[in-house]
Amino acid sequence: MANRKARPTLSPEICKGCGRCIDACAHHCIAAGTHVNPATGLVPVTLDLERCSACGLCLEACPEPYGLLPEGDEAAAEPTGQKRPPAVEDQPDTRVALPALRPLVVKGTYASAIGALLAGCRHFFGYPITPSTEGAELMAKLLPELDGHFVQAVSEVAAINMMYGCGGAGLRSLTFTSSPGFSLMLEGLSYMVGAEVPAVVVNVMRGGPGLGNIGPEQSDVKLACRGLGHGNTHAIVLAPATTQEMLDLTMLAFDLAFRYRNPVVVLADGYLGQMTGKVTLPDELVRPGLPGWAVHGDREHRPNLVSSIQLSEADLEAHNLRLIAKYERMARSEQRAELYEAADADVLLLACNTPARLAKGAVRALREAGVRAGLFRPVTLWPFPIDALRPLLRPGLRVVTVEASHGQIEDELRLALSHAGIAPPPLAHVRRYGGVLPKEEEIVSRVLGGPERGVA
Amino acid sequence: MTTAVHQAGQTMEPREFKSDLKPIWCPGCGDFGVLQALYRALSAVGRPPHEIAFVSGIGCSSRIPGYTTAYGFNSVHGRALPIAQGIKIANPDLLVLVAGGDGDGFSIGGGHLPHAVRRNLDLTYVVMDNQIYGLTKGQLSPTSHRGLQTVTSGYGSLEEPVNPLLYTLAYGAGFVAQGTPADMPGLTSVIEEAIRFPGFAFVNVQSPCVTFGEAEWQLKAHKAQMKSLAGLGHDPADRLKAMALAAQYGEELYTGVFYRNPNPAPTYDALVVERQAELRDQALPRERILDLFRKDGGR
Ligand SMILES: Cc1ncc(C[n+]2csc(CCOP(=O)(O)OP(=O)(O)O)c2C)c(N)n1
Ligand code: SF4
Ligand code: SF4
Ligand code: SF4
Repeated sequence: MANRKARPTLSPEICKGCGRCIDACAHHCIAAGTHVNPATGLVPVTLDLERCSACGLCLEACPEPYGLLPEGDEAAAEPTGQKRPPAVEDQPDTRVALPALRPLVVKGTYASAIGALLAGCRHFFGYPITPSTEGAELMAKLLPELDGHFVQAVSEVAAINMMYGCGGAGLRSLTFTSSPGFSLMLEGLSYMVGAEVPAVVVNVMRGGPGLGNIGPEQSDVKLACRGLGHGNTHAIVLAPATTQEMLDLTMLAFDLAFRYRNPVVVLADGYLGQMTGKVTLPDELVRPGLPGWAVHGDREHRPNLVSSIQLSEADLEAHNLRLIAKYERMARSEQRAELYEAADADVLLLACNTPARLAKGAVRALREAGVRAGLFRPVTLWPFPIDALRPLLRPGLRVVTVEASHGQIEDELRLALSHAGIAPPPLAHVRRYGGVLPKEEEIVSRVLGGPERGVA
Repeated sequence: MTTAVHQAGQTMEPREFKSDLKPIWCPGCGDFGVLQALYRALSAVGRPPHEIAFVSGIGCSSRIPGYTTAYGFNSVHGRALPIAQGIKIANPDLLVLVAGGDGDGFSIGGGHLPHAVRRNLDLTYVVMDNQIYGLTKGQLSPTSHRGLQTVTSGYGSLEEPVNPLLYTLAYGAGFVAQGTPADMPGLTSVIEEAIRFPGFAFVNVQSPCVTFGEAEWQLKAHKAQMKSLAGLGHDPADRLKAMALAAQYGEELYTGVFYRNPNPAPTYDALVVERQAELRDQALPRERILDLFRKDGGR
């Protein structure tokens, strides 16, 4: 490693024997090797440091990043401790009581938009895409009247980066998008997770891959739970199943985003976005405070820094460790699930979003037919609500995952079981694709031992 | 799709470019006229459908390749130009047409345009500029004028529109023209000229959206307002004059050719072919590819 005056240590499994260090050393401390390193098949140099002056020239000469390391590099591997504490105290959110109002009857994307407004969000950045656009259009209509601002960005790439900027200032921002747009936002999300910038992304999932269609699917679960751009990223993923939850979970999403300084994804499906339902309004709204870490552009917040760049390996490793500890806190504290007739179930249907409603119907039909069926509905897909599932897993229980994707939800289940060290119960599934949702009869018949649908 | 069987030297009828798909545009949509003009221009150019690749992005206008018998690719929102470049490089013999909307080309795909222009592949890019997002039902577009009220700009847009004519000229395009379906012969002729131009050629078509577009900016208004550049005595070899005229985009509806480079620069695809030809003799035969990694170069 360059620019350090120190005696060298050799990493024989990285040295390629090029000899540059031999030439660099005025004291002839380094000699060509004679033995092939079995790990590399190359011949590393040998060091004899008796006359070494610790000039460090060999370290600079070595073209391999880890061929020669400065002695005592363990010390150098310590993080530089650049992580800054917030410049000022958080200004906490306040809650304002709302008068009792009659429930609204609205479509899912509207409910979500209303939830964002009640959570104090006044900034929306987005790009039109069916079937999410109506939520954006409602924000476009309302925000100017609420001292807020709506921007139609030139693309989803621009929109998410506007959220990066706005969130970095400590403000609440929202976007609505749908699958192809969500793909484009992943880069930005990775940066925001890295820089710990909160924001709420509502993805009204549609049929894929590619342009697919505008019907409901759940095939972005893998992106939201496992694929938020590059790097070790995670975000809480909320999966509403009703219009009411479109509102409630969007409100919650803002809370969580700011509590953890991390983006939150609300994963809805195209059906839920369009579907009209009754929505009871909460009894409080949120007047957001201002986080102490915000780069708010005033005197008090001037020392703050929001950034995802960590050039020193040690710093970046320490940063990753802090993020991972944060993910673990989320995983411990934020699991959410709804159970329906699950306590005595012999067959547990596992579903979320709109398919969960169909699965609920199937549970009722199965109960009527004398089958003890129940529903386990993850409300958080990440973290997977394994703690709620664990007590239900008695011997003899079967689990049938009902989903509009190729096992992406079942994969989350399998991973959660595996991480928890639980042997999987017998698993079966009902899966539909391309904008088609599993039907109630289909679920019932599958539970009663019917064949799996497939391509003949 | 109908496959037209073409013999060399045979002329092509416009209907031979018409596919069996019936356009699902709203009745009266300007894009119908653009499609007709394309059929005629392609017929005049005379290349058979199987020698033509027609690439578009996503939008109402981007449906256009499906209504032709050419190879068609209704591709990715905003990415028609890079995809078309890939196709042209893969098969430089193809006549490659690119089409789409103003949102597709100047908003989400806007970053690709300067680079497609400066790379100068022999592509013809036809944008159906309706100053609105049609397919997603009436949102603001990058060519919407300041103050326009749409479902995403209820209080009026706060943004200046892009000027596609001036941009492409400034980027260095060798051919820049504008047309409107209100003048079918003129539109047909600029599209034909664009196709024949060796290099990146851009045609901005004022193609009204009857459903979400402004009531006062429909074909009837075009008819009343359009001014032929040729009629004004504009010399299309004069790039600076072209830019001055193009600067009036949004105020004046000029039709015809703003700029045609009298000495077209070599195209990227031609340079690729030329370089490959130059180096072909030195190229290693495939079975000797590993020689590249031998110290003695296999010699
Ligand atoms: C990544 C992505 N974002 C958004 C969309 C949705 N979308 C499809 S077409 C379009 C814009 C249509 O406007 P324009 O390109 O001007 O074409 P027009 O329909 O007016 O012809 C949008 C936003 C998409 N398909 N993909
Ligand atoms: S630090 Fe200087 S003296 Fe020591 S081995 Fe390297 S080049 Fe030689
Ligand atoms: S310069 Fe580095 S890679 Fe080369 S011989 Fe010395 S230690 Fe090995
Ligand atoms: S919405 Fe507008 S652009 Fe789309 S087909 Fe209808 S008239 Fe044409």
